[in-house]
Amino acid sequence: MQDNAHIASVFDRDLEGVQASIMKMGGLVETAIADAAKALDRRDTELADAVRKNDKLIDALEETVSADVARIIAKRSPAAGDLRTVLTVLKISANLERIGDYAKNLAKRTSVLSEMPAVEGAGGSIRRMTKNVGLMLKDSLDAYIQRDVDLAEDVRQRDAEVDQMYNALFREFLTHMMEDPRNITACMHLHFIAKNIERMGDHVTSISEQVIYLVTGEMPDDERTKEDRTPYATAPDEA
Amino acid sequence: MSDEIKIAAKGVDVFYGDTHAIKSVDVEIDDKAVTSFIGPSGCGKSTFLRCINRMNDTIDVCRVTGDIRLEGQDIYDKDVDPVQLRARVGMVFQKPNPFPKSIYENVAYGPKIHGLAKDKTELDEIVEKSLRRAAIWDEVKDRLDQPGTGLSGGQQQRLCIGRAIATAPEVLLMDEPCSALDPIATAQVEELIDELRASYTVVIVTHSMQQAARVSQKTAFFHLGELVEYGETDRIFTNPVDSRTESYITGRIG
Ligand SMILES: Nc1ncnc2c1ncn2[C@@H]1O[C@H](COP(=O)(O)OP(=O)(O)OP(=O)(O)O)[C@@H](O)[C@H]1O
Ligand SMILES: [Mg+2]
Repeated sequence: MQDNAHIASVFDRDLEGVQASIMKMGGLVETAIADAAKALDRRDTELADAVRKNDKLIDALEETVSADVARIIAKRSPAAGDLRTVLTVLKISANLERIGDYAKNLAKRTSVLSEMPAVEGAGGSIRRMTKNVGLMLKDSLDAYIQRDVDLAEDVRQRDAEVDQMYNALFREFLTHMMEDPRNITACMHLHFIAKNIERMGDHVTSISEQVIYLVTGEMPDDERTKEDRTPYATAPDEA
Repeated sequence: MSDEIKIAAKGVDVFYGDTHAIKSVDVEIDDKAVTSFIGPSGCGKSTFLRCINRMNDTIDVCRVTGDIRLEGQDIYDKDVDPVQLRARVGMVFQKPNPFPKSIYENVAYGPKIHGLAKDKTELDEIVEKSLRRAAIWDEVKDRLDQPGTGLSGGQQQRLCIGRAIATAPEVLLMDEPCSALDPIATAQVEELIDELRASYTVVIVTHSMQQAARVSQKTAFFHLGELVEYGETDRIFTNPVDSRTESYITGRIG
């Protein structure tokens, strides 16, 4: 990245503007994750409704970012670092939008789950998992602002923990369901929630990879170990 | 793109009197590929381009040192005839310079003196084909006997491109060939350049970053007489190594 200004100062303002939209989106998504988790934890359907409503703002910002990027490309033909900036902005905004959707989905399921008896032990695990993903998101956005490759790489590595937490939850839910079929509905919802949080982690990882690409011009090698083994599981102890 | 090196320059310096215009430039230009030279005004692009067909010989104060080889042969060797060299290495200049002759003669002159046509019919064919490829045939086909100097700037430039390709050179040097052209003629010339690279080596100087990115496979960035960075065009425009290259191509104050 270059610190020196463009000869066309409007170009600088355009690039700053679109990056400011990303940070705004990032803030909204962080709040959405935290609130969705809190709503689930406290069975707070009002807060869950607010999360669902606020997702519209995130979607609208993504559209703004796409339109701004299209305009910049058409008018400025960005190259090199500028090109990487607009490309990463576009991808990151798509990642943030998806994370927002997962938070919204979590909030939807909260409304259903609040009508059912709690599944023992699940609350704490999901809270920890969401907290992890929330922190990863915060760090990936910090890494973006600071152009900090080391921090981005650190976030990328931390996704493995989220995958592990998901695996553990998956096993737990299977156990609960086998123990008592009355748990199945709640566990199915909780499983989707856990899966959605795990997917949030993947999108945060993708944001971190974009930071690395933005700074170095290259995507990181895929040396991350995939910790999610549930696709192959047929019984709790196989996951 | 073949992997052959068509032109190899090593330790090339150019002086105009006391002005050191090119500073120790090493570059290897691929055969059957388009190479673009970019850089701020006055950085030495035209000067270096002119070294490749010894056009600088015609400038009194100009002194070229170093080694430039065309297919391994030292082009500054005393046995090399600059006129013969320029038939192999054609050039389109920054400023259009048609001869004060008819449009037809402008194009037919080269093929005639190099004996490329058996008879008038063949010569006519070469003229038409060259002017077509230079995207100007339709505009001049009914006035071939009129002076080339009577054409508009953009038409003159395309006439000069037609003239340069009429002798079927192995290497075509183009110094901002599109600076006087409208977007349609520019697109046609770019199409021609792309077509030429199947059989020729093309080196183009351009101030348009987009043009360099569109037409060339390799890009060389010059700055203050130095070759700062040289490499695959795709890489130069997405991930340049040198901060001076980045500043230049992204339109920043260096
Ligand atoms: N005939 C000449 N006599 C003296 N100095 C010259 C001559 N031609 C070029 N120069 C000097 O050599 C340097 C390089 O000039 P050159 O024309 O190669 O630049 P360029 O990169 O082609 O610039 P532009 O993009 O403006 O065409 C400049 O400082 C210029 O003033
Ligand atoms: Mg020049």
